[in-house]
Amino acid sequence: MIFCTLKNLDELKNRATFGRQPKLMSKRFFLLAFFTTATFFRGMAQASQGDDFMRSMGKMYVVVAAIAIVFVGIVAFLIYLDRKLTKLENQTKHND
Amino acid sequence: MILKHGWKALGAAILIYTFVAGLLIPLKTGVQSIIPQSIQSGRNVSFRVQGYNTQYLAGAPEMRAWLKMDDDHVLAAFQILVQNDRELKVGFQIPFFLPTDKKVQDFTLIIDNPVDGAHILPSAVFVTQDSINMALAKMYWPPEKIEGLHEKAGISFPFRNILAETIRNTYYHVPLWFAMILLFLGAVFYSGRHLFRLSYRNKITTGEDRMTLDDDRMSLSLIRTGVLFGILGLLTGMVWAKNTWGAYWSGDIKQNMTAICLLIYMAYFVLRQAYEDPEQRARIASVYALFAFAAMIPLLFVIPRLTDSLHPGNGGNPAMGGEDLDNTMRMVFYPAIIGWTLLGLWMSQISFRIERLKERWLESGG
Amino acid sequence: MQLIREIGFLFQKELTLEMRQKYALGGILLYVLSTVYVVYISFVRVEPDHWNTLYWIIILFASVNAVARSFLQEHSGRQLYYYTLANPLAVLLAKILYNFLLLLFLSLLTLGAYSVVAGYPIQQPGPFLWALVLGSLGFSIALTFVSAIASRATNTSTLMAILSLPLLIPILATLIRLAKASFIPKAGMEVPIKSDLYILAGIDLLLLGAAMMLFSFLWRD
Repeated sequence: MIFCTLKNLDELKNRATFGRQPKLMSKRFFLLAFFTTATFFRGMAQASQGDDFMRSMGKMYVVVAAIAIVFVGIVAFLIYLDRKLTKLENQTKHND
Repeated sequence: MILKHGWKALGAAILIYTFVAGLLIPLKTGVQSIIPQSIQSGRNVSFRVQGYNTQYLAGAPEMRAWLKMDDDHVLAAFQILVQNDRELKVGFQIPFFLPTDKKVQDFTLIIDNPVDGAHILPSAVFVTQDSINMALAKMYWPPEKIEGLHEKAGISFPFRNILAETIRNTYYHVPLWFAMILLFLGAVFYSGRHLFRLSYRNKITTGEDRMTLDDDRMSLSLIRTGVLFGILGLLTGMVWAKNTWGAYWSGDIKQNMTAICLLIYMAYFVLRQAYEDPEQRARIASVYALFAFAAMIPLLFVIPRLTDSLHPGNGGNPAMGGEDLDNTMRMVFYPAIIGWTLLGLWMSQISFRIERLKERWLESGG
Repeated sequence: MQLIREIGFLFQKELTLEMRQKYALGGILLYVLSTVYVVYISFVRVEPDHWNTLYWIIILFASVNAVARSFLQEHSGRQLYYYTLANPLAVLLAKILYNFLLLLFLSLLTLGAYSVVAGYPIQQPGPFLWALVLGSLGFSIALTFVSAIASRATNTSTLMAILSLPLLIPILATLIRLAKASFIPKAGMEVPIKSDLYILAGIDLLLLGAAMMLFSFLWRD
């Protein structure tokens, strides 16, 4: 599962070096977001089979999952702002 | 300096407190399960009871247990065997006739010892009786009272059977909604101020240099963060719902309404894309933000309260009433709302500053 | 008083314009009738729940199409001309009034055609009619205002759909519930119907107030 994501990341990196248009960048971002969530949900689906991992230990892992989601969301927002700033920096550099 | 940035530190500190307190404070003791759950009347039944967070071995000498129908009809256990810290074997002698005119009656299980305190499982056992005889039942059910229940020492969160530890999600799911609504309210304020200044300027002066679009930018940033919090609230809620209600999406009124509410605000971003001229975009986006909030009021505050819901605080109940939130939880929950809101404001402010920088760069002739 | 007279004149103007371009109204009517016909040939017998859903879907899309034109069909020069002649509020209110009557007519027509082919499950016509009136009013207010918002943009019709559908869902949700309640014969079911009607009226008032307050920022360019 992890290998699969890494492979996709490689693919994404390759794409990114080929083109630098902003459209492709956002595509890359969405692909990344998609794969992250897909991996997450696949992991959860696997966990919910068999031993019912999520419900063990008094369902504590539900809380862990919620906190992880919030964390991932805030990091995604950070990446979004970071990209905005980078674009702005590149533009100002170009101007000088 | 402290005034300018202190609120950010305050927000972070409150959130750290929320995480520490919300994750470290233990749950109260509780009954996790009981086997069998349904029995026939008139038998000696030995139940296997599983406790949560309990120390039955330590509390064994003074262990007591009851099956309770109502305040006047209580049945004490005749035999309690402690298997280990988390497991009991409790024997009850169920009389032939139950003091009720129903064929099937549910009983609440109460277990008490000095170490764990009293803990209960509502509707734990369903007893079926073949025939109803209230007069005979009265003989079998002498008046018995439950007295001298113990309280477990120390701070703890309440134990609810389906929720278990996920009751802590109250601090990582619910405050996201509060923060979202507060952020949207902030956006309403800034949009309104933008329009107010617009009309003020048009009345007093004409031909002045271009008006600042800062208010609109702040409103955009607040909506951005609000939508992020909304999406996170939806996702955390879905994971929580899967493991308590049984499905990621159960068509609950609050789930549907917030999904719509997010759609309304996503349309806001599309609207912004559709206008080229910054001043026109700012004006029309502000108008839409205000109109959308007005349209959202029934969505968030009126309709959910009149409809049945799995969420607490719906179907006519007051939100966050005494049953759902005890005083210990309040000590974490209210700060959590403030903490998440401050974090949201911080995030919006950074987004706002980037937007302003972009505009300045464009104006300086990029 | 002046405002009411202006609204009257502007309403007449809308009517005249509509009569002059009959194809627009004809298109909407054709849409309604053909959708009803599609429902007829795809369902042998329509269950009340399906009846409800399909009816409101037909109404929803017919309304969006019908009202979308209200600010779009006139180019901005002519609109500016109206605003110099009349109070902008009168322009808005006249359009809302006109669209309200248009939508009411459309929904009654759909109800008629629909009842013929798909059956008539309504047991309490009174509340259902009230729901239609209040719903049409709400749709008209929201859609007219959104049409004013979208009219200046480049890709108007898409924007119109994106902006209006989520805004209409609260009204639609209440309407569907009301309609469902009106399928049950009158037996102590009056209380929920009444409270839903009040909610609908409340939403209408709220939207009307917001639209009237905000419209003055939309028309000037």
